Amino acid sequence: MDSETRELRALEAEVAALQRECRMLQNAGEKASGAWKSFQKISQSDSEEWESLKDLRSQLEHLRSEHSFLSKLTGFNIRNYSKMEDIVNTEETEKDTKKVLQKHRLSGNCNMVTFQLEFEVLEMETKEKKSSIITDLSIIMEPTEYSELSEFASRAEEKRDLLMFFRSLHFFVEWCEYRENTFKHFKEKYPDTVYLLEGTCSHCMEIRSTRQPGFELVIVWKIQIDEEGMVFPKLDLLTKVPERALGLDKNRVIETAPLSFRSLLGVLGIEAALDSLIRLFSGDNN
Amino acid sequence: MESANTLCPGRKCKGGVLAHLERLEAQTNISNRKSEEPAVRKKESSLRTKIRELRQQRDKLRAEVKQWGARVKEPPAKEDPSRTVISEQEVLEREWRNVDAILEAYRFTGLSGKLTSRGVCMCISTAFEGNLLDSYFVDLVIEKPLRIHHHSVPVFIPLEKIAAAHLQTDVQRFLFRLWEYLNAYAGRKYQADQLESDFCDVLTGPLQRNALCNLLSFTYKVEQRCQTFSFSARLLYEDPTAALPTNVTVTRPGVEASSPPWEEHRASHQMLFRTKPLHKVFASFSKETEKLHLNLVS
Repeated sequence: MDSETRELRALEAEVAALQRECRMLQNAGEKASGAWKSFQKISQSDSEEWESLKDLRSQLEHLRSEHSFLSKLTGFNIRNYSKMEDIVNTEETEKDTKKVLQKHRLSGNCNMVTFQLEFEVLEMETKEKKSSIITDLSIIMEPTEYSELSEFASRAEEKRDLLMFFRSLHFFVEWCEYRENTFKHFKEKYPDTVYLLEGTCSHCMEIRSTRQPGFELVIVWKIQIDEEGMVFPKLDLLTKVPERALGLDKNRVIETAPLSFRSLLGVLGIEAALDSLIRLFSGDNN
Repeated sequence: MESANTLCPGRKCKGGVLAHLERLEAQTNISNRKSEEPAVRKKESSLRTKIRELRQQRDKLRAEVKQWGARVKEPPAKEDPSRTVISEQEVLEREWRNVDAILEAYRFTGLSGKLTSRGVCMCISTAFEGNLLDSYFVDLVIEKPLRIHHHSVPVFIPLEKIAAAHLQTDVQRFLFRLWEYLNAYAGRKYQADQLESDFCDVLTGPLQRNALCNLLSFTYKVEQRCQTFSFSARLLYEDPTAALPTNVTVTRPGVEASSPPWEEHRASHQMLFRTKPLHKVFASFSKETEKLHLNLVS
């Protein structure tokens, strides 16, 4: 067999192989083009939906801005929310009563306090009325160092009073901010007399006498939440005085100081009472 | 989804491939036979032309294969953007549902709202403990000065006073203040309603109340140790944002000075009304009576 015949055979084999490959690819290509067509169909309807996608985007933008507006307005920033399946109570305890139990999970923050809530809402519908009751409530809050808050949270859980939780949390946070700003203000105004050992967020402010070392007043400012969820500040005065001085205090000024401070607060209000106390103690009578 | 289905062929397509192959083999056999005939006749000279032809055919096929190969590979490459288009829509939709649900969930905080063309329409929800009660709306027009366009706040709630104090300076404070008033009112009303509906057998006369439900008066009887004690109570809620009374007087109607057992009951009732929700106080009365009944029976 000469070289030309060999080349012919080789070419024939190659052509056959190529033809086979070509048909296979064509076949695959047809399938792919089927996919391609369906894709084109999608993208075609997409291009129609492009408008709707744009629409969706702008709608989402609108919702987001609504969310941020609402969280600014209320002070509650809900970050996650999920509703679990409705459990329809088929048990017919009463005639014509429709009962639906829903589980909700919600988390977010109110300023520096973050919360995670889980609660169940039982909706009952009779012919005459419709009522919703929170049947279960659990609250997790952070940071945990606010002892007032954790006590309050367990009370809210007990009463299953979700709305009270939010309302009181708002007022609590508001008072915390006010306390922080007030402490900061006095630290800036009287840097040599006022000490905030645990930072501005703590509930204690120390007033040290510049003329009489060892004489100290401690303002303990707590924010309490009562049974009804009412939030109010509670300020107390503690004195740190050398024992020798205590013996010389014939008029029991130091002993009665906490009480006097209370009445001072009642008359002047928090800021003015603290200011006059600091000035009195630091000897700055101007 | 559609594209995924077409990319994953079923058995039908597989059969298609085999059928194609069979057809192809048959075709090549025919073309081989055809090419053999002239090769016999013209031998060498034709051999060269044959080679030339085959080379051309080969090159053409190679190009075709390359082209087809590229086309087969191409779609998946082009499909990625399609996927991102689809998934972007999905992501947007998911996000949309998520934010929408969050906005919906605001009602559980007590303050929810919807933006309007001119401002915001706030919905203030009320509750007494776990019982979710009525909601009220305040439609605010956000312009200077801020104003209330519409609202469903009852007339006896001092809305104007609250608005005058806070609306221009701090909308948040305005809302929370109003909420306190509404919630306390709803809470007082709920307690009075509960008392009327669940303990009508204990009440010896109609429960009297003012619109704001911050002044309640009623007469009731309590059975204890086979004795019936009748009292009249007057509950005053001086703080309009409180759901518990600030001033409670319990008296024995028509009697000036009470004997010790009466006085004891009177004082304890007075204390209970001040510290516990009204209907719960009555629930505790009936529990005590039940307990006593049980004791007497056993």
